[in-house]
Amino acid sequence: MKNNLKVERAIKNITQAQLAQLINVSRQTINAMELNKYVPSTVLALKISKIFEKSVNEIFFLDVED
Amino acid sequence: MKTRYLFPNSYKLFGWIILIIGMVLGIILSINDFEYPNWSANVFPLIGEKEGVLTSNVSMAWSDNNIADELASLMIIIGGILVAFSKLKDEDEYSATIRTESLIWATYVNYIILILSIVFVFDMPFFNVLIYNMFTILLFFILRFHYLIFKTKKMIRYEE
Repeated sequence: MKNNLKVERAIKNITQAQLAQLINVSRQTINAMELNKYVPSTVLALKISKIFEKSVNEIFFLDVED
Repeated sequence: MKTRYLFPNSYKLFGWIILIIGMVLGIILSINDFEYPNWSANVFPLIGEKEGVLTSNVSMAWSDNNIADELASLMIIIGGILVAFSKLKDEDEYSATIRTESLIWATYVNYIILILSIVFVFDMPFFNVLIYNMFTILLFFILRFHYLIFKTKKMIRYEE
């Protein structure tokens, strides 16, 4: 699974640390997601979509390997 | 995040203290062939040795025993469990994933070493392997988990 968290963050102009605080996870988690090293749970994906006011599909998308 | 089966973060430091004291005591004991320190105490073995001239601990009767090794074992196990399974300060679903993967890794490594020991180590040396094997799964997990958490924290520093 891929995502454009980094782009969305840039649009909203918030740092990894700020996003982490908003959705109550560690900064490492945001970083790991942006590096495609971690696939978040549905709950976390929904929380992120709420912050960016976009649907989950616009932030996260399937990869060829999925 | 809701986590099952984990202790609060405040138990972690307490766990480290007990674990380290237990390990130091264990190392001192193993250097001295489990003879010193000799903390004699009354014990009540549920399962003991067969009665004979030299046996000191028979079943279902009070007898004398050096409890230093028992204390060291309990401290390493209890301290180790607290260190291993207390929440991190920022426990979340990512650290939960790392936790699970580290536990699988530790189980594999622990049993690979035990399998090799079963095949290649015999008699008293094998008994010694069994002694250490009581604790190694916890120790391997603690090392692996904290190493991975340390690595993810270092990765962030590169990002900045």
